[in-house]
Amino acid sequence: MDWNANHSAFVIASYAMSVLFLAGLIIYTFTRDARARKRLAQFEKTKT
Amino acid sequence: MQQFANPTRFLSLANGALPYIWAVTLILFAIGLYGALVTAPPDYQQGETVRIMFVHVPAAWLAMLVYTVMALASAVAIIFRHPLADVAAKTAAPIGAVFCFLALATGSLWGKPMWGAWWVWDARLTSMFVLFLLYVGYIAIWQAIEETGRAAMIARIVAIVGFINIPIIKFSVDWWNSLHQPASVFRMGGPTIAISMLWPLLVMGLAYTFLFLALHLISIRSEITTRKLRNLQIARSENR
Amino acid sequence: MKLLGALLRRDLILAARQGGGVGTALGFFLTVLVLLPIGIGPDQITLQRLAPGILWITLLLSVLLSADRIFQQDFEDGSLEVMAMAPASLELVALTKAFAHWLSTSLPLSIAAPFLGVLLNLRTEIIWPLTLSMIQGSLALSLLASIGASLTLNLRRGGLLISILVLPLYVPVLVFGMSATTGNPEVIMPSLLILSAIALASLVLAPIAAAAALRAYLK
Repeated sequence: MDWNANHSAFVIASYAMSVLFLAGLIIYTFTRDARARKRLAQFEKTKT
Repeated sequence: MQQFANPTRFLSLANGALPYIWAVTLILFAIGLYGALVTAPPDYQQGETVRIMFVHVPAAWLAMLVYTVMALASAVAIIFRHPLADVAAKTAAPIGAVFCFLALATGSLWGKPMWGAWWVWDARLTSMFVLFLLYVGYIAIWQAIEETGRAAMIARIVAIVGFINIPIIKFSVDWWNSLHQPASVFRMGGPTIAISMLWPLLVMGLAYTFLFLALHLISIRSEITTRKLRNLQIARSENR
Repeated sequence: MKLLGALLRRDLILAARQGGGVGTALGFFLTVLVLLPIGIGPDQITLQRLAPGILWITLLLSVLLSADRIFQQDFEDGSLEVMAMAPASLELVALTKAFAHWLSTSLPLSIAAPFLGVLLNLRTEIIWPLTLSMIQGSLALSLLASIGASLTLNLRRGGLLISILVLPLYVPVLVFGMSATTGNPEVIMPSLLILSAIALASLVLAPIAAAAALRAYLK
């Protein structure tokens, strides 16, 4: 990869965008999963 | 309780498989990115810009694959009434929408230096845009209908009607495109592609597929957990 | 069959009495036709080139605008539930109601459109292909609208949702409707035939999808 080539900004931008969105999706998926499991565990703990 | 038997077995299977899937995903991304950014030669016409292909094309493939998964899961839900099928379809949609958006956005970033415009109403772009709308509509249905059972029934119809519609749209937009402008102008890369470019593309495609698999399994898991919690809450409030 | 005939007659009478169907849609149609030339500019050649597209898109939007009327009222006052219990299958009921929508709203518009095209300096040799394609296309549009209407029945944000859901279904109709009116004699016939195919396919498939969605809401 020649970083000084014409239009290399577009290449960087597209890779950055893909990484950003996929990372966001991964983080979102993990936090949602963790939150769901935490809520369930809390609910089961407060069993009366 | 029988309804939970299946999800439980699924969960233990998924939990066992997930570490391996993540490992494969990481390795595939490492190899794919190395191939895409280091070993693949710049295109003699497009120069370095051709490297956008390695993130653009896999995203577009996945956008189509995920919609197919959604439609198949919806068909399974209608035919076999499998309790997991609706969950699988519902959780696939946001992931597919992100892939579809990335395909559109990176395509736009590729189009600007190549065609001189961020967006052209070329056949592929138009059908991809419509696919994105299908994703949005499907997700909106789940958001708009509060009762889960009813939302599932409506969402199945939306997914399957959209799936039947995709080839028709592809065909019609091809027709429309050939009517308005010579298709050859917007053909990218040409039909032949060098091996040095093909293998990173395929590896990246696999990496995206495994990423989807991992994210999908986790999303299904959280959806099952959420539903289980809701059922328990309802059961407890009824016992009082 | 007799039942469905009665249902069709009832829907048509309701549409005529309330004046909602044809009235609103035709009013919208005229509004767009008057505003667009003012927005685009009075240049005759530009208008002539854009005329088929403007007419098609206006027809599409008018049908979309009136789509939620297909099932909404009958669902709210409970008559849809009665129809679901009738000996006729819900698929046929959905087909009849979509057909009534076509007769009361889309068909009048598609017949009026070529005449209103005069305002846009529409080329005379396009009038026939436009009329023929619009008559077939509007049948498909009404049927596809009935899918959207049944899917968003009784939803608070139904109006927005129905456009997102129906838009992808409308794309093929618009494409072949436009290609029938480009004035290129070679593509007129195939486009008209494909439009017929789309209309026939939606005649079979739309009632199935609509009935399935209605069942989900009637449960």
